[in-house]
Amino acid sequence: MNVALRQWLNRIFTMAAILAVAMIVTALVAILLPMMWRGAGAVVFGGTVEFRRMQLEQFNRGDRAALAAQVEATNQVRARAYEILDRFVSGIDTTALQTRVRQIHREFTLQMNNRDLPPQTLASSRETSKQVRDQLLAALETTDKAVALAALDSVDAHATDGTLKDTAASNYFDVARQYRQILIRMDPAYRGEYAVALGEVQEAVKRLFGPRPGDRLPAVVMDQYGATRWDQAGQQLDRLLWAEKWESPGDGQPVRKVRISRADQFAGTEMAELFPYVYKNLRAMLLPERTFYWQFFTDDNISGHYFGGVGPEIIGTLLVTLLAIAFALPTGVVAAAYLVECASDNLLTRVLRTCVNTLAGVPSIVFGLFGLAFFVIYLLPRLGLPEGSSILAGALTLALLVLPVVIRASEEAIRTVPRAYKEASLALGASRFRCFVTVTLPAAMPGILTGLILSMSRAAGETAPILFTAGVAMGPIPTSLAQPTRTLAYGSYDMAVGDKMAALAPHNQYGIVMTLVGLVLVLNLVAIVVRARVSRRLRGQ
Amino acid sequence: MTQISQPDKRAAAGFDQPLLLTPAQDWVGWLAARAGKALLTLITGTSVVAVGLIFIFIVREALPFFQSRGISEALGSTQWYPQAPAGHEEFGMLALIFGSLDVTIGALLLAVPTGILAALLLSDIVPFRARQAIKPIIELLAAIPSVAYGFFAVLVLAPALQQYLGLPTGTNAFNSAVMLAVMAIPTIVSVAEDALSAVSRDLREASYACGATRAETLLKVVVPAAHNGIIAAIILGMMRAIGETMLVWMASGNACQIPTPWWDLSQSVRTMTATIAGEMGETPKGSDHYHALFAVGLILLVFSFATNLLSEHLLRRSHAKGGGHA
Amino acid sequence: MNDERIPNMLSLEEEQLAEATLAGIGETPVNQALPPLQDGAFQHEQVAMTPIIRSEKFCLYYGAKAGVRDITMDIYPRSVTAIIGPSGCGKSTFLRGINRMNDLIPGVRTQGTLAVNGVDAYDRRINLVNLRQQVGMVFQRPNPFPKSIYDNIAYGPRLQGIRGGNDLDEIVENCLRHAAIWDEVKDTLRKSALALSGGQQQRLCIARALATRPQVLLMDEPCSALDPIATAKIEELITSLKNEYTIVIVTHNMQQAARVSDRAAFFCLGNLIEYDLTRVIFTKPVHKQTEDYVTGRFG
Repeated sequence: MNVALRQWLNRIFTMAAILAVAMIVTALVAILLPMMWRGAGAVVFGGTVEFRRMQLEQFNRGDRAALAAQVEATNQVRARAYEILDRFVSGIDTTALQTRVRQIHREFTLQMNNRDLPPQTLASSRETSKQVRDQLLAALETTDKAVALAALDSVDAHATDGTLKDTAASNYFDVARQYRQILIRMDPAYRGEYAVALGEVQEAVKRLFGPRPGDRLPAVVMDQYGATRWDQAGQQLDRLLWAEKWESPGDGQPVRKVRISRADQFAGTEMAELFPYVYKNLRAMLLPERTFYWQFFTDDNISGHYFGGVGPEIIGTLLVTLLAIAFALPTGVVAAAYLVECASDNLLTRVLRTCVNTLAGVPSIVFGLFGLAFFVIYLLPRLGLPEGSSILAGALTLALLVLPVVIRASEEAIRTVPRAYKEASLALGASRFRCFVTVTLPAAMPGILTGLILSMSRAAGETAPILFTAGVAMGPIPTSLAQPTRTLAYGSYDMAVGDKMAALAPHNQYGIVMTLVGLVLVLNLVAIVVRARVSRRLRGQ
Repeated sequence: MTQISQPDKRAAAGFDQPLLLTPAQDWVGWLAARAGKALLTLITGTSVVAVGLIFIFIVREALPFFQSRGISEALGSTQWYPQAPAGHEEFGMLALIFGSLDVTIGALLLAVPTGILAALLLSDIVPFRARQAIKPIIELLAAIPSVAYGFFAVLVLAPALQQYLGLPTGTNAFNSAVMLAVMAIPTIVSVAEDALSAVSRDLREASYACGATRAETLLKVVVPAAHNGIIAAIILGMMRAIGETMLVWMASGNACQIPTPWWDLSQSVRTMTATIAGEMGETPKGSDHYHALFAVGLILLVFSFATNLLSEHLLRRSHAKGGGHA
Repeated sequence: MNDERIPNMLSLEEEQLAEATLAGIGETPVNQALPPLQDGAFQHEQVAMTPIIRSEKFCLYYGAKAGVRDITMDIYPRSVTAIIGPSGCGKSTFLRGINRMNDLIPGVRTQGTLAVNGVDAYDRRINLVNLRQQVGMVFQRPNPFPKSIYDNIAYGPRLQGIRGGNDLDEIVENCLRHAAIWDEVKDTLRKSALALSGGQQQRLCIARALATRPQVLLMDEPCSALDPIATAKIEELITSLKNEYTIVIVTHNMQQAARVSDRAAFFCLGNLIEYDLTRVIFTKPVHKQTEDYVTGRFG
């Protein structure tokens, strides 16, 4: 073959290899970085006054007086928005005005009755009032602007009517004036159309600012507060400022989404004022502050992970993991000691090694099945514990899962203890047991520790084995080892796939995964540091 | 000075400790040694007992299924309808086995070339220091919990696939295969790199001395010499992929079907592991469905046991060979 | 301190030399059969002391391979016995046979007897712990535990159940003084022993061996990993210790054997070739092999 060609092939090969590693590292970065970054958003974010209100009311955390002042300040800014909204609502929805008109008629009738007027006068004035009322109602009900204005004109014609003067009926004309004002800027023909958009606007305002002061408090906690986070507020503002519509371009083309500015949608109405007002004053309405919500790692969640943190999940993970390690570590270290110190290469050790390797290769879901069949259904009920998944069953299952990891790491660690240490100890008259406990074990400890940390990270990250043995997605914080628990791994799964509420709070979805991955990575980094220290110490000798 | 020249009073005492054991000491010592060793063997035997118990209990729970339905239904049908009205349930596992193999093979197609190239790069191309830096990073990938990969697959990759490739669903065999490949690569790189490093330098030098380029040396000499270790690496990667549960459960779409055409990775499939994970929670203990899921578990267990023995055999051969060169 | 002691050491050897010459040793061949010893000097000394270690047709096999064969020799108390010979001749194997350190190697068998203080070390009923406590050992490479200096010395006493702080402090100080390293480490007792230099580490190991109150001190090439200055210190230490301990030292270095030992045994290929007073071995060896070796013609 041509030498130049061979050189090129060589170069291409090298490039391919570099590309492969680059791809792997890119995958790591592309998967981890956004996950960690977005997860960090659950802890560090712009918290609004709503967030602080939630913290105070739900977790009793924060300065009550300062918060009250802030709430007062924001309410003042928000009041204007509510006012605009109310005014527009009265135009769109004339029910309130209609009720008012009927009320006026009743008041008038009452007033007349009290005046002891002659029956005819009474009857005629009631008749007049009824007439005005019906005209006014007709104006309020019609969707034709001309008809409405004509009706209002005929109402106004009664303004000088002596029977109505200086009575409750004079209020008719106030209402008429008010409605005339509204009609100047709004065509009642679009009333139906506005009603839908108005609903959306009202919903968006509620999501931004929570229930209005004085409204009845909603039963669900997540509805009791507006946008607790500044980024969330941005999204809600977007929903407030823009309407999304599905538009069919025709010709059998797929429908597509178009965004319409609400300012355009409500152009010419009073409502048009609302959007620039909220847009400009959102900061004053929510008072965002950079918040470091470290309690994310200790708080329980509220409203299905909409608020709150992952405290019980962390505790559950640690409980299950540490308990599993407590079972696996002594067993694993003893087995490793046996393999290194006692056993020669006989049938027993060969069987043992094959079993350790088999155990390491069993799929984690099969461990889950085994844990269900053996610990949950068979063993623990026979020991007097209630049947059903429990922390204990999960920990025992995980202990079997990490046993091979512990054995392999400990065996390696014990094997690499210099023979000189053992010889020195034995030559000083230590028995083999004393020698192991006082010299070999301490010298192997860093290696065993590394294995321990790695198996902890493995146990903490496993989900499949605890699906049927220890994990639940929701539930109270366990008070005994015989109860199931929430864990980070199971929670991550559930929030990504199972829990619909969680999709409303993506920062919490990412937050729980970030916590899990962070826990595992920290454990791994600790292991790497321990290993590096040990190798440095061994080289130092 | 004075201290040194003074005779040690303690040393002068002579052999003050009896060199022979008294019969009682002898007897107690013998007994303690026996008891200690028995205890050690017992504790060490935990893993043997565990493996035994796993086989016993999985088989015990799977057996009623094979007794009542026979192995022919399990391996002869693609119809998996456990929720059908009583008497009409079907437990054909072919589609599940196909799903597992589908995503695993897809993952291996991606992971094996990448993994082996990366292993070659680490063992032969980059300087030692770079290798020391890169290898832990790659091994860190192996430590990330599979549920985190699944999370990524569902919330990031699936919408992206839908949006950019125009697939009808983002959770499909392709998504699972890609994520499984990312998960299997660290295993493959780590084991293959060990095998490649175990090939002696003489062999490489002999090849270079004949005028071979680096690519030729690696592909024609080093890789063949390390082939046992590399195959073991691939098998270990495969075991990791086929035994993976959370990721495929979240990312594969869980449609119990053999896609048409069968090689179409853009369709949803369902694996054995995901079936167990997804259905066991809602299955009454002792029902046909329950036993059927254990039967699926048994298939997985037997498969992993067999591949494990194979990889162990290959690794032992590759170590023996590597040791011979060194 | 060094300057003062070296002349002493020399004068000691001169005395012995004179004694040996007076007795007219080195003319008859030794090591035909023991006991009784044919050598005049040995007979002379036997009056004063009985051997502390007595090896009779001692053989040690690693599986099928013989480590040492038919070793018959007596080692006398309060003296330094050097074992010399080329690499792989079984010197260390024999030395490690005395306190049964070879037990660690799988597949070791022995024949014959190797009696320590009249008790066969390979008796089934031997108390290994007591044997090793009273037959201390110093290894080729300094092997302090990765613990503090104090804990290294206290390791043996603690095994014997000595716990009290004051007792322990006293023993540690005593042993360190004995090993001539006290002045160098008295302020750093709690620091890691691994921070010491090689020579210091080896002296620490000797101190550690002394702490179990041994009668016999086995030294397996204690200076082979050290520089000449550290070697000189260790040799000086050995000379000072022989007044109280029986020392058996394996060495590659013939000058060292000549300098420190009272008697010397020459091993070759697992056999004991010649065993006599050091002076004799180095001046008038009986065997041609010994002569070749000590004059450097063979190695």
